[in-house]
Amino acid sequence: MKFVDEFRNAELGAVLAGQIVSLAQSDRHYKIMEVCGGHTHTIYRYGVADLLPANVELVHGPGCPVCVIPMGRVDDAIAIARDPRVILTCFGDMMRVPGGSGSLTEAKAAGADVRMVYSPLDALRIAQANPGRDVVFFAVGFETTAPSTALTLMRAKAERVCNFFVYSNHVTIVPPIRALLESPDLRLDAFIGPGHVCTVVGARPFHFIATDYGKPVVISGFEPLDVLHSVLMILRQLAEQRCEVENQYTRVVPYEGNSQAFRVLADVFELRPHFEWRGLGFISQSALKLSAAYADFDAELRYSVPGVRVADPKACQCGEVLKGVIKPWECKVFGTACTPEHPIGTCMVSSEGACAAYYNFGRLTRRHREPERELV
Amino acid sequence: MRPDDAHCDDPYSCITCSDAAVPMIVASIDRDIGSCTDAAGAPHDVMLGLVPDARPGSRVLVHAGVALTIEPEGAP
Amino acid sequence: MIHSAPTDRLLTLNDAREREALAKIARVRAAPKRFRDERITMAHGAGGKATAALVSGLIAPAFASPALAPLDDAGLITIDGAELALTTDSFVVRPLRFPGGSIGELAVNGTVNDLAMVGARPLALTLSLVLEEGLDAEILRAEIEACARAARAAHVEIIAGDTKVVERGHADGMYVCTTGIGRRDPRARLSPASLAPGDRVLVSRSIGEHGMAIMLARGEFELDSEIVSDTRPLWPAADALLALGDRLRCMRDATRGGVATVLNELAVASGVTIAVNEANVPVTPEVAGACELLGIDPMYVANEGTLVAAVAAEAADEALALLRAVSGAEGAAIVGEVSADETGMVIVNTAFGGRRVMDMLVGDPLPRIC
Repeated sequence: MKFVDEFRNAELGAVLAGQIVSLAQSDRHYKIMEVCGGHTHTIYRYGVADLLPANVELVHGPGCPVCVIPMGRVDDAIAIARDPRVILTCFGDMMRVPGGSGSLTEAKAAGADVRMVYSPLDALRIAQANPGRDVVFFAVGFETTAPSTALTLMRAKAERVCNFFVYSNHVTIVPPIRALLESPDLRLDAFIGPGHVCTVVGARPFHFIATDYGKPVVISGFEPLDVLHSVLMILRQLAEQRCEVENQYTRVVPYEGNSQAFRVLADVFELRPHFEWRGLGFISQSALKLSAAYADFDAELRYSVPGVRVADPKACQCGEVLKGVIKPWECKVFGTACTPEHPIGTCMVSSEGACAAYYNFGRLTRRHREPERELV
Repeated sequence: MRPDDAHCDDPYSCITCSDAAVPMIVASIDRDIGSCTDAAGAPHDVMLGLVPDARPGSRVLVHAGVALTIEPEGAP
Repeated sequence: MIHSAPTDRLLTLNDAREREALAKIARVRAAPKRFRDERITMAHGAGGKATAALVSGLIAPAFASPALAPLDDAGLITIDGAELALTTDSFVVRPLRFPGGSIGELAVNGTVNDLAMVGARPLALTLSLVLEEGLDAEILRAEIEACARAARAAHVEIIAGDTKVVERGHADGMYVCTTGIGRRDPRARLSPASLAPGDRVLVSRSIGEHGMAIMLARGEFELDSEIVSDTRPLWPAADALLALGDRLRCMRDATRGGVATVLNELAVASGVTIAVNEANVPVTPEVAGACELLGIDPMYVANEGTLVAAVAAEAADEALALLRAVSGAEGAAIVGEVSADETGMVIVNTAFGGRRVMDMLVGDPLPRIC
């Protein structure tokens, strides 16, 4: 199996960058939002923004399913973890997210049995290996991840596992984008679509962005060349006054999505009437809970949790960062009271959160190189 | 990666936020679980419920323990 | 080229505000670290920011020793005109044996290397063992032999020690602690605060091997080529570089936290920027692949036999030649350059053509590796 170095080829990157410079109208400022933490990471990790002209700006949106989990939900997970019967399992992503009074890492240091897993299947196996304990999986993620939880629950049911439970915090990608587009604060020109979410749901759910709101969308792969290519495709749409959903990630994303995934999600989950998104408020039909058929596995039914809505600390401006209204460095506590080692808000906790990504990788004096203009 | 080895939290790789999907090759299939190997040769148990056409030798993209899609032949 | 336009003026204003915000952050980062945590977590052992806060905020202030203050790899003390270096290290490795070595070897080489990095020829070690009840005697025997072999290879003697046993369930088999004493070489003019703009940074070999070798030993990786720990004594390489006299600014062995941590420590101590050219950093394909899979940058992965050296610009080629003549350092490379652009920062010129910051570690991606 080859490593993907060809996608990182600097020479190809320079060519694409040159084409972008040629196409970008000098009297216009372009704001392109990406809604996937993977794209945020690629952009910062490879310094992609350095190859763009100063008037093409990449804005980071709410693409971090960990970042949007409200503090009260983390507190509930910690309450469950403190039950001595319980082994709480979760992805590493969740362990440092601060709740109202500490994170899962701190709860673990204080004696709660919290274990990191890479897949919900690992959590199910822990349950099967520990029949005397309750194993609760703290499920997070967009539609890319929800099928993994769903398939695991189907397996748990088929194998009659009685000590495995899921605390579902799965969220869906379309409602927050719609909420952003409805928001008066924001002026965006286009979107870079989330590549692996679209592998599951396809390109169709994003049509409303083009048809209802008139913004081009390009669904992008994750290598730096993919992102540059997607920016070029967006600029071409804008120059040609087209407004479509295009798929740059054709090697992986099917237009119609994955029909198996729709089936298993419909079987195992149902939409909550509404769900609180940190920084974005309550959004209707934006999150998943276990369906009635899987009620036996629902941690929210089994454990009574505080269920308290914890307000964000007053200093926290994660909401504005998540909406792309302010840049990370414009937040009053960025880098001072809120740092990766002592995060106040989730944009700083998750390594793909906009604030963490900027703090860890992007905290540089911007130097836009002006590549040779190419005749297009 | 074994769950009981995972004492660490890993702040540099957020599976869900990065929407990461890792290419693997299916070595063998037992009902709906594929034993797959990644680029380093490490074995992983992967749920194949979303890719019923997967066969031993298929290249799949794996996220959080589930194969999301089969990569076409000749894809890099 | 971009023409001047109203939108451009807006961009310039934003840039000024961003620079202000960055300057404020730089001041916060430069302030002395305080230790405010309520409990010790695994992050405190990672060699990154939490460790730094623990040492600078809690431990060092309590001892208020001028010799401790630089927080260098070893402490220096002068007795009757003899400049001596003293250092200590404990080893809590899981598993005890791994491709390329074992805890016994690490324990000797780790302390030998801390002495070498301050320009001190290692002379003697003490060896302290904390053994778990039930430890197989053959395992202990093998580790004692490993210590002896490593000591002979490093030309040091183990001249004192201690043994304790703790109940089953503690010490993961065994914990080892070594303390070492060495004599400072008169050619050494080393200080982490002495890096100056124009200086070059070198590494002595390909990076990330020890941490990945441990991951190999823990998981079930099967690679076509093996990744083997790079554990080895670094005095021969240090001895070679000391020929540069005051053109050798500083040496560090890149253990916990990797090369990135060392570079950050040097950049902060000297108040400079170190720019690393990603394409020049030697990484074997096996290590690069394994790191990619785990989502870890090889620059953060621990090494146990790799040194980072900062030298004056005009000495760079000579330093490279000196290193490459040492067995085990044939793959040495010049990886970066020092500038005065920003204070206390490490920047990577990515192979893709962009730039990014490379900060200290926050958490612990690979615990219990050394």
